[in-house]
Amino acid sequence: MATITAEHLTMTYAGRTAQDPITALDGISLQVAEGELVSLVGPSGCGKTTLLRILAGLEQPTSGHYQIRQRDPDRPPVAMVFQQAGLFPWLTVTQNITYGLRLRGLAAAEQAALAQRWLAAMSLERFAHSYPAQLSGGMQQRVGLARAFAYNGEVLLMDEPFGALDAQTRLLLQQTLLETVAQTRQTLVLVTHSIEEALTLSDRVLIMSARPGRLIGEIGVPFARPRDAITLRAEPAFSALVAEIWGSLRAEIEQARQAELHAA
Amino acid sequence: MNRNRWLNLLSPLLLLLLWELAVQLGWLNRIFFPPPSEVLVTLWNNLTSGQLLYHMGMSLMRIMAGFLIGGIPAIALGVLMGISPTVRALAHPLAAAIYPIPKIALLPLVIVVLGLGEASKIATLAISVFFLVVLNVAASVLQVDPRHFEVARSFGAQQRDLFWTVALPASLPGIFTSIKLGMGFALTLIVGVEFVGANEGIGWFIWRAYELYAIDRMLAGLIAVALMGWALTTLLDELERRMLPWQTTRTPRTPRTAQKKGTHLMETIRKWYRLSRPWSYTAAIIPVALGTIVAAYHGAFSLWLFALTLAGTILLQAGTNFFNDYYDYVKGTDNNESLGTGGGIFQGGVPPHHTLIAGMICFVVGSLIGLYLVSVAGTMILWIGIVAVLVGFFYTAGPFALAYVGLGEVAVFIFMGPMIVIGAYYVQIQQLSLPVLLISLPIGFLVAAILHANNLRDLDNDRKVGKRTLATVLGRTGANIEYYVLIIGTYLSLLVVVVLGIAPWITLITVLTIPTAFRLMRIVSAETEPHALQPVLRQTAKLHMQFGTLLVMGWLIAWVLEQVI
Repeated sequence: MATITAEHLTMTYAGRTAQDPITALDGISLQVAEGELVSLVGPSGCGKTTLLRILAGLEQPTSGHYQIRQRDPDRPPVAMVFQQAGLFPWLTVTQNITYGLRLRGLAAAEQAALAQRWLAAMSLERFAHSYPAQLSGGMQQRVGLARAFAYNGEVLLMDEPFGALDAQTRLLLQQTLLETVAQTRQTLVLVTHSIEEALTLSDRVLIMSARPGRLIGEIGVPFARPRDAITLRAEPAFSALVAEIWGSLRAEIEQARQAELHAA
Repeated sequence: MNRNRWLNLLSPLLLLLLWELAVQLGWLNRIFFPPPSEVLVTLWNNLTSGQLLYHMGMSLMRIMAGFLIGGIPAIALGVLMGISPTVRALAHPLAAAIYPIPKIALLPLVIVVLGLGEASKIATLAISVFFLVVLNVAASVLQVDPRHFEVARSFGAQQRDLFWTVALPASLPGIFTSIKLGMGFALTLIVGVEFVGANEGIGWFIWRAYELYAIDRMLAGLIAVALMGWALTTLLDELERRMLPWQTTRTPRTPRTAQKKGTHLMETIRKWYRLSRPWSYTAAIIPVALGTIVAAYHGAFSLWLFALTLAGTILLQAGTNFFNDYYDYVKGTDNNESLGTGGGIFQGGVPPHHTLIAGMICFVVGSLIGLYLVSVAGTMILWIGIVAVLVGFFYTAGPFALAYVGLGEVAVFIFMGPMIVIGAYYVQIQQLSLPVLLISLPIGFLVAAILHANNLRDLDNDRKVGKRTLATVLGRTGANIEYYVLIIGTYLSLLVVVVLGIAPWITLITVLTIPTAFRLMRIVSAETEPHALQPVLRQTAKLHMQFGTLLVMGWLIAWVLEQVI
């Protein structure tokens, strides 16, 4: 049975005028199996972030419904990793990591143990008592990952987590993420604008259309896990898949660009 | 950069010099424009007589009261306005309409309602602080990055969590800014308020000078206001730095800019302040306070002399700490593995000889203050001072270093206990009495216990490096017994003094600390590991502070009761 089941999710916002609502999502249906890693790619403004926010419970869909199956009722349904980490600047690294645990009312000893474990896993021990502003962007995103893993949601939701990082840092963090998810066996839904990243990190890539967002295709990624984020790129099949996804996206990107020009 | 700083100093100095010359040469009328030198003398005289300090204190009290009454509800309402659109819609128009009214214009109205007394002055301050703070706080909450709320919600934060874990901490910097604004505002207002119908306060001081046509006093009053403003701002800055550590560390990667360079001096002062082990100051403050309050109880008290005694004693204490650091380093007893309070040279990255110089500066300034006290209170203070300096220096320095021959506790007992108490007592009342010696004994026991807790913890390490303390001489069992003796001696000696009728019975409120004392003795009996004994040191120092504070409070209450009845 699938962990995430979504049926006909539609999302409309009030536009500039009441007669002209903006449809961000148009009848999205999808299923994600337990432990599956799924990426969402699509032209910018296609609503992939909106879809993620609905799954995170931050927004209510206008129509349609979705369900996240919890095997363990004590475990929170989702843990989210935000663009640019979204850390609280007034909390230390450790306090940021335990933020969600504190809200869940875990005992202090348990919080400390989990913080310790994830600080170590993300090589952050030396920065346990630093404040986010003292860290580099890559370090901050490690804290963001540690926070989500420590929270231990049934599903990990990631909204372009590595988008703001330089190429090297990005590759290293992708590798860290792959290794960690292999251990925790969590289900992952990742929004990204990088096709390479989607292929590296997931089992299945879902392609969305320009606004209003619809699912227009999906590609099963044939590379076996565990993978290596760096050597994977050298495989001919990798470039072939990149080209294939680009093929299905080109028309959409063109359309999105036209719409933007039109609006401006 | 350096050149500019000199130029910054040059222009005001030049102006003062010109002014002085113009008056001395008779170009300016001395009555309307008293020369800076005269103003300084007036300022000094009014400060040392305690008069100016009294008026500044009165104004400060009004400001504090106005701030508490106006500021705290303003922060609460401001945060609510920032979070809840409903509250904002209800409160904002009103606050925004009243805010621009010059609050001094409200004073007559407030006087009509509350009369000419203290209440109307504090109320006027409270009202103006309230409106300023409420609007600024609301604005700073509104400016909190909405993403923070989003992140919190994704981790399951409810409305209440959003308030406590996001809205409040995120708007703290803004709240601080508005408090600082409010403080400046309050200072402006207090002077105006005290011009009207006050009998004390810095505003009254200035107005009174005007009525007497004493322009020099007037200018001295203005300087006092400026000093108050500067002190309050510095205090708030420091408070902000402590409460919002994430703010000051915001951009450590950016290169030091010109603006940063200006605070270099402050940084240096802070660093040395930390190196001087400020937490050890209570060991000096409590005996001085005790000696002074006992003198007051016996009929003599001067705030000015108390302040000087306190400053001098703290400086000697800081100087001793510096010497101690230096000679411990030279003799090699502190190393990188040293726990706790010592080892400043290692932890602060300061060249050792700088520590030596800092110690000397503290001793010189402390001695100067001491000499002034000698001139006021007589040669008795000179002898106490000389012995104190010698003990401070030879505590770790020289071939016969007291701390290394097992006499540390004895030295500390005598000089941080009876000696300071008697000295502070003598400064006030200029006579000696045996009862004061008895009264000071509990403090001596406790301060020796702090040192002994330190030696207990370091027992094994000290043995290894050959540092002779009473603890290493007595061995573990003997050292534990010594600790019990010191703690029990504290309470027993106080009990004796009370039973003899020397100390008022109310000083027995110190028994409130007995549970802590028991807990500490139990830890000492059970543990031998340095890490397990580390808290004993800290808590013994805390016990000294709590016991001492309660003891001084007991005397204070007795004194006040005496005055009233």
